[in-house]
Amino acid sequence: MGERIVFTIAAASALASGVLVITLKGPFRATVALIGTLLSVAVLFLLLAAPFVAAIQVIVYAGAIVVLFLFVIAYLGERPVAEIGDRLGRYAVFAWLAVLGLAIQGAVVLLTTDLPGINDDPAPTGDIGSPEAIGRSFIDTFLVAFEATSLALLVAAMGAVMLAKRAVKSEGGR
Amino acid sequence: MTGAVTHEGVPLVAYLAVSGILFLLGLLGVMIRRNPLLLFLAVELMLNSANLALVGFSRYWNTTEGHVFALIVMVVAAAEVVIGLGLVVAVFRQRMALDVDQMSTMKG
Repeated sequence: MGERIVFTIAAASALASGVLVITLKGPFRATVALIGTLLSVAVLFLLLAAPFVAAIQVIVYAGAIVVLFLFVIAYLGERPVAEIGDRLGRYAVFAWLAVLGLAIQGAVVLLTTDLPGINDDPAPTGDIGSPEAIGRSFIDTFLVAFEATSLALLVAAMGAVMLAKRAVKSEGGR
Repeated sequence: MTGAVTHEGVPLVAYLAVSGILFLLGLLGVMIRRNPLLLFLAVELMLNSANLALVGFSRYWNTTEGHVFALIVMVVAAAEVVIGLGLVVAVFRQRMALDVDQMSTMKG
């Protein structure tokens, strides 16, 4: 029973913060709302027997990525161009139509799926979420993907440096 | 819920519903916003919903693969945010408006 109470609170908080993320106009407030979603999803990860992923979610997402967002927002500062409106009404209608269509499809899939036991209590799991199990899985099975993600990070870091260098040069710096 | 169940867990379908709604929120945010910063936040929302579904299915099938995928998704999200925010800062320093509809040319 306690698990369901925690799930309900975390899910409601995740969805409420998600609504705030896309409705708040100020980037700073929207980023703070995103922290709420990230922490709530981390709680859901804990309920799903994934403590390591939950910890990484808090450290990397709510820590590093959100701080990066806040740095950039602080750097850009308050600017009048933040007042640009949303898309024109007739395009927003198409966005709502697409979202509504996807929602109906998802609801139909979830209600008619014949995946066994999807509506039942989950079976007790073994050791799937510990750092040891995940580390073994990375090294044994997904070594290529592991190396590829490290390469992606390297490329991203180099790209960010190049972008910053070019921006400084365009302002007359070195 | 019928039958005498000893421990009351949360079924997978509830996690998938939360994940789907979060994804739809992110999709809506991407489509109606024009400020690139808010757009990235909405993309983060979608990536997180995907992670929730991955970890949920990992719990359902009792395997570790979903956790591994979720961690890789986080790394890719970090890379994407670094490049994206670098672009935002570069555009800002060119004294251009932060409006994705006006950023239509690519020139170094």
